[in-house]
Amino acid sequence: MEDLVGDIARGNVTEVKVVLASVVMGLACYQLFLIAVGYGRVRPSFLAARPASLAHRAVGDALVVMVVVVALMCLSYFGFGEDTTVHVVAATALLAVLALKIAVVRWWHGLGGLLPFLGVSVFGLLALTWLTSAGDFLAER
Amino acid sequence: MTAPTRQLIGSILAAAAIVAVVIVAVTARLGTTSVAELEAREDRQKARLQQREEAREERQKLREERLKRRGGG
Repeated sequence: MEDLVGDIARGNVTEVKVVLASVVMGLACYQLFLIAVGYGRVRPSFLAARPASLAHRAVGDALVVMVVVVALMCLSYFGFGEDTTVHVVAATALLAVLALKIAVVRWWHGLGGLLPFLGVSVFGLLALTWLTSAGDFLAER
Repeated sequence: MTAPTRQLIGSILAAAAIVAVVIVAVTARLGTTSVAELEAREDRQKARLQQREEAREERQKLREERLKRRGGG
């Protein structure tokens, strides 16, 4: 797996991971806007609630795939580092909350009231995970 | 095309634009990581050093010849 990741990234695993994680972070900010429109908290004239919710779902599906790819790259190539405790804890919690959110959206509709809380948690954990890895890396450049 | 469909497509296109902007911004911040480009840069550096070395040797040779001629004449 480590070799596969290295080959796909042509040896630039960290850089590819930083770009992907940053794209995820950028889209996560956009997701906040979309769902704010979807819930009617923000009412721009150019976007109605229903299309905003549908776009939120579509972008969210793509984001899940990207998060899993980044997580696999991270685990297979870097493993669990000793001085990356915050990053590892935040990333693990992110995956767990994301899985719960997907389960609520797809199957456990009774827990739909938790979605705003789960969404904000996913965003917060994602921000923390990005800051303790890609953000750090970019700040050092 | 209805207004909601237009808005949905617009929202997805906006997401694609965000992806493009982030990739450009982060890549610019990272600088080049292309192996070919890094190798080419290294080759150019080596060639420059070699040229400098050759020029230095040439100057040294000329100086020695001048000194020889002066000593002989």
